[in-house]
Amino acid sequence: MSSADSHTGLSRQHEQELVVGAEAGDPVACRELVEAFLPAIASVARSYPSGIGVERKELLQEGVAGLLFAAQRYDTTLNTPFWPYAAFWVRKAMQELVAELTRPVVLSDRAVRSLAQIRAARRDHLQAHGAEATTAELSRSTGLTPTQVESLLATERPSRSVEEPLIHEDLSSLTLGDMLVDPAAEREYELVLDEIEIRAVRDLADQLDDRERVVIKAHYGLGRPTQTLSEVGATLGLTAERARQIEVGALGKLRAALAYPAFP
Amino acid sequence: MSSDGTGMRHSALVYESQNDYVARAVSFLREGLDAGEGAVVGNTRPGLAAVREALGPDASRVTFIDVGAAYTRPARTFAAYHKVYADEFKRAASVRVISDVQFGPEPGEWEMWTGYEALMNRAFAHLPTWAMCTYNANALPDRVLEGVWQTHPEVVAGNVWRASDQFEDPADLLRRITPAPEPLPELRSISVGHDSETLREALARELVAEGVTEAKSLDMLVAVSEIAANAAVHGGGVKGMRVGRARGRFVCEIIDWGSGFDDPTAGYLPPRDGVGRGLWVARQLTWRIEFSHPPQGFTARLWL
Repeated sequence: MSSADSHTGLSRQHEQELVVGAEAGDPVACRELVEAFLPAIASVARSYPSGIGVERKELLQEGVAGLLFAAQRYDTTLNTPFWPYAAFWVRKAMQELVAELTRPVVLSDRAVRSLAQIRAARRDHLQAHGAEATTAELSRSTGLTPTQVESLLATERPSRSVEEPLIHEDLSSLTLGDMLVDPAAEREYELVLDEIEIRAVRDLADQLDDRERVVIKAHYGLGRPTQTLSEVGATLGLTAERARQIEVGALGKLRAALAYPAFP
Repeated sequence: MSSDGTGMRHSALVYESQNDYVARAVSFLREGLDAGEGAVVGNTRPGLAAVREALGPDASRVTFIDVGAAYTRPARTFAAYHKVYADEFKRAASVRVISDVQFGPEPGEWEMWTGYEALMNRAFAHLPTWAMCTYNANALPDRVLEGVWQTHPEVVAGNVWRASDQFEDPADLLRRITPAPEPLPELRSISVGHDSETLREALARELVAEGVTEAKSLDMLVAVSEIAANAAVHGGGVKGMRVGRARGRFVCEIIDWGSGFDDPTAGYLPPRDGVGRGLWVARQLTWRIEFSHPPQGFTARLWL
């Protein structure tokens, strides 16, 4: 259980703590988890060829999002190590980004007919003039606006298969070269780490007013020394019983916030 | 086919290609829009983009849900869709939703999300809605695809609609696939005092000692309060409490004096008349809640 992972250097226990912390929205745990797995994420990103219209930094950022989503779902009670599980979501995130940015466009029936008009006009112009028609000429021939012509022609750009073979299915196939410190990659990693978008953590305490928050947090020692309700009340100029009533009301408010009805 | 407006219809679409999915989804949504129904589509970003483009101007009348963030834990997914339905029913008398479940790579997860699909038959059964769950036949493991027939009363594949003769009662399916909780000897017993306030105080000391964050500590305090309240009403009161860390998570067990219950759907049904809210609240705030009947008494185990 406590043996170190040979690729991240994290012990299984530390890895679990980071995953659970990241799932809870702890920014320190999120950063440490991402930092530990960035080389592995970068390895997955390298399996995508350049020139497909997706920047490496975009792939890394999407891979990080996939890793953090994996932390949301990863069940520490199962015996699966984290990376083989997370790698699925990292790859999926990158594949979906590539698919989104390079996918063939699904056209409406009307757009399909318009594109057919443009192709016919191009063909006719080429035959008549021996040269490709300009956007303006196609617009005049078809009655479509120049913007419509350009948008429809853009849908004909070649798409790349998202089923590019991946070099590394899991960390076990990484080479030493993958793990060597690369100054350029390190700078890139810092940029990615600085831009981690940590899921906004739902904090129940946000549902409470200031006084309710003080009572709950002070009574139960959340982020401050624990106080009795008498001490909390004294701080607020209230009796212990009044502080208790505020606490009961606050707990009821939190319950109601989560138990809203389906119909207003 | 359309929702008859009297309660939930739950179907599955098994598709072979992205084009197949888009064509079916657009047809399903347009039929609903033409009937004045609310229309919702859930998928990852590429799927949503494809449906949006195919819908053309009709896309402005459809609600798009990025399921990439929604499918974390079943209870939270139900809560997310509960909110979606609440919004949609402000605008329409009936709603149809077509959504792609994110099963993940781990067999343990497949069981969990199959259980989620079974629970769908109960969770929103009271709503005039048609929920169409979509499955990629080429990307999902056989076990998941077999589960489609066990969790959906009707399935469409190709152009053929079939009633499922393998459909299983949700509670029976959940009992069958849910493993019994393993013993956790690493947990320690703590004194629970004589009322809910002293119970929370004792729990809070343990949460702080274990370094649980403020936000998650409050989540656990509220969740345990709900379980303890149920124990007081239905279980003769709290008999004992055990806490500690297991598998990296803070765990709290509440043992009561009663005989407990055997309803695996408990806490997954969104609040409505006749349905209790305490377990629903507790499930939103925790990673998992397990119930068991060990020798020491009916036990609710909350994983944070």
